[in-house]
This record gives sequence, C-alpha cells and structure tokens, in this order.
Amino acid sequence: MELISTKQQNYLDFLLAMTEKEIRVRYKMAFLGFLWILLNPLLQMLIMGFIFQFFVPVHVNNYFLFLFVGLLPWNFFSMTVNKSTPVIMNERSLIQKAKFPRESLVLSIVLSNLFHFLIAFALLLVALVVDKIFQGYSFSQLSWYFLRILTSFGLCIWLAFVTSGFSLLFSALNVRYRDVNFMVQAILPLWFYATPVVYTLNLLPEKFQLLFFFNPLTSIVQLFQYILLNQPFSLQIPFILNVLLGIFLAILGFTFFKKESIFFDDWV
Amino acid sequence: MNEQKNIAIQLKKITKKYQLQHNKPTFFEQLLQRRNTEQFLALREVSLTIFSGQKIGILGSNGSGKTTLLKIIAGITSPTSGSVVTHGKIVSLINLEAGFHPDMTGLENVFLNGLIIGMSKNEIEKKTPSVIHFSGIKKFIDSPFYTYSQGMKLRLSFSLGIHSDPDILILDEVMAAGDAEFQSKAKKKIDQFFTQKKTILIVSHWLEFLETYCEKYLWVNKGKIQAFGGKEVLEQYRVFQNKKSNYLP
Repeated sequence: MELISTKQQNYLDFLLAMTEKEIRVRYKMAFLGFLWILLNPLLQMLIMGFIFQFFVPVHVNNYFLFLFVGLLPWNFFSMTVNKSTPVIMNERSLIQKAKFPRESLVLSIVLSNLFHFLIAFALLLVALVVDKIFQGYSFSQLSWYFLRILTSFGLCIWLAFVTSGFSLLFSALNVRYRDVNFMVQAILPLWFYATPVVYTLNLLPEKFQLLFFFNPLTSIVQLFQYILLNQPFSLQIPFILNVLLGIFLAILGFTFFKKESIFFDDWV
Repeated sequence: MNEQKNIAIQLKKITKKYQLQHNKPTFFEQLLQRRNTEQFLALREVSLTIFSGQKIGILGSNGSGKTTLLKIIAGITSPTSGSVVTHGKIVSLINLEAGFHPDMTGLENVFLNGLIIGMSKNEIEKKTPSVIHFSGIKKFIDSPFYTYSQGMKLRLSFSLGIHSDPDILILDEVMAAGDAEFQSKAKKKIDQFFTQKKTILIVSHWLEFLETYCEKYLWVNKGKIQAFGGKEVLEQYRVFQNKKSNYLP
C-alpha cells in the first residue's frame, strides 16, 4: 500500500508548485525581498506605537512588543484574505484549462503567506527569549516559557485554518458577485480596529466588550497576546462562543467553496 | 472481452443551464432585488456512451453546444443535472492559450501546466526536453511567456498536451495551430495517437479531415444529439449544411 495515491500526490505537487510560484513572484517584485517581510510590520509597529501610546493606556511592559504580537497574525490574515478574494478571477485562464482542485489557488496564497508569517514569527520569538534572558529569568522560568512558545505553533495552525476559511468564502463569493472584492477591501481596515491589536478589551466599557466577540479574530489575537506576553484574558462563555464562531465560519467557507467551485468556469 | 466494450465516457441525461449575464452581477443588486435571471439551455438531457479506443468526430454549427459538451466531459465545468462518468486520464486541448502565465518563463509554464493537466513531477521532468523540441522554441524557453508570439504559445501548449499521454484526448479545432511545418508535425503526432488505443474526441469544421480519421460521428444540434453513428451521419450533416447555405442570399 502506498501512503498516498497518485492523485493526492499530484495535488500536493501542484499546491507546492503554486506556493513556490507565489513566493518567488514576491521576491522578484520587491527590491528588499526577504527584508520586507519583517520591515513591513516593524515600520507599522513603530509608527502606530509612537502614536497610540499617547492615546491607549494599555497596561503592558512594552507597548511596542504588544503591538507587534498582534500585528503579525492580523497582517497574515488581512494580506491573505485581500489577495485571495480576486484570485479565481485573476487565474481564470487556469480554470478554463483543466479540471483540478480549485481550492489550491487559494490555499497556495495561504501557504506562501504562512511561510512569510512563520519567518517573522520565529524572529519575534528569538527577540522575546533574548528579552527574557536580559530580564534575568531563571532556567526553570525559561523552560516554562519555551513550553508556552510551543503551544503558540498550534495557534498558528488555528489562525491559518480560520484564514483559509475566510479566503475561500470571499473568493467563491467574488466569482458570483464582482463587488465582493471591493467590499472586502473596504471592510479590512475597519476590521483591524474591531480587533484588539492596538488596545485591550478591558479598556472598553463592559457592555461593548461583548460586541467584539462577534469578530472571530478576537480570540486568536487575545491568545497570541496571552501566550507570548502573558496578557490576561477571561476564559468565559463569550470567548468560547467566539472560538466556535471561528470554526463555524471556516467550515462554512470550505463547504461553500467546494459547492461553488465546480461551476466556476461558467462565471469567470 | 472485447476491447471495444470498455466504457470510456458515459453521460446520462446531461442538462446544462447558463445564466445570461448582461452586466457584471453584484452582491448589492442581489440584496436589493432578485434579478430577473434569463437562462440559456446549452444542453438538453444528453445521454451518450463512448467506448475506449473510439475516435469520434463531433459535428455541429456554432452555438450548438459542442464546446459545453466537451467541457463537461473534461470536467472543467459540471452539468446542472445528470451524471458524468469517465475512465482514464483526460487531456483537453479545447482552449490552447488557457493556463499559461504571462510573467513566467516558457519552462516554468510547462511545469505548472503539466501539473494542472495531471502529469506527475517526474513525468514532466522526463518529458520536458521532447516537449520543447517538438514545439521548436528552444531558444525562447527561458523567456517570459508574454514575449511569445501567438504561434509560439499555441505550439508549446499543443506540444505539452500531446506529450501528457492521456487515455482520452479532446481536440477542438487544434489543427489551426502553427505554420504549415508545425501542422504537418502535429498531424503526424495525431496520426500516432489514432493508431494507439486511445479515445479521441475531435471537433472540426474541416469535414475532410474528420473523414480520414474518425470512425464515428456525433452531430450536436441546438443542445441535443441529432445523430450518432458511422459515415452516414457525416453525409446527413453535409446535406444539412448545404441546405442551410443555400438559403443565404
């Protein structure tokens, strides 16, 4: 028995080849190439940190670090969704060519962005550990911190899953309704401020806090801040519902895409 | 068991509806009012069985539903209702230009397209030299695809398609690709295909060409199968066409 069938092997090869293409195209275009992965969130962090520290009284040791931990997953999400939404239209010529799993077009974008995200994330982890050593953490304290870091990789997979779901949903919708791309572009900047990246939820009046749990990214960003920075969060019903909402929407995205994708050729 | 009796393609009551789009559809419109959607029936309850090894010429005027039928067989789109069963690897040369990325080089395109039409990585690596040789664009294979001329694009795409070793090959007016020299090369290659036990579906308005190659003919008219059979179908179609052209002023 072979481990995977030829068909699955072919699918995997195609997905990886598309991902590689995505990554290579990005390096070709950007002058700074690899540096840009890190430079982009760093500059964002510096500018936002400089401005928001005067307005947002977040109780953290280092507001810049707090920002960066939230910005990385947010940037991964927004860049992936932004690029995935029009991808079926952009790659219409592939759609018209042959039968192949359509979702690989979206998933290759997710994977290539995940590759960039993980590089930046690994560098962030190094910075955090160095910071802990300078703070004079003992060996056992450091070991605990390493364990926390390990769990954050599970969180990265969870983030990639939810991002894939939204990317698939919007890209399939955009085939039917061409204005979905514009809507996504309009909504993403607003969505950023509806996600606790530059602030923490406990700064808001209690009655508004619940509203934020309609945003499936809230729990993800909060968990990143909790694991890496020990930023407290409340594990209560709204939080759990928020996690379930994320799962539900992601599965909705996957199934909707699967259902629609066999008719993409009629619409592109 | 007779080789002829293996089913390659089986269609049962295939119906394909298209929604006519007069404008780009938008989500807002959908929310405000249900658009009155005009529909167009491209295929009406088409049933068809093709055995493996058969060479079938497909006849029909423009807009009769030929391409829709081929797209459904190739799995590029799905029918609105009905079932499609196919056995074996299908390669369609319906839209030769499709699938090639203008910013990638010819070689990168060969690799990606090979994967799309179902070749394995190894297979592509092994066959790339002969794909390039056959297409005759050795010098330009590392140039970006947008620098290619129309003829070069078609030649490379055709070359890849026929090197992919399909069980079922779908050709749509591909004999128009390339210059006279390439056409004779392509014809030789297709001759080879016809001598092998491959299933071939071929659309062409060039009836003499079909006559020399095909053993069965499928006549599609107004989304239905008008006739399916041997040489007599071709003759019927000729008569039908002549009648039609006689009406012209």
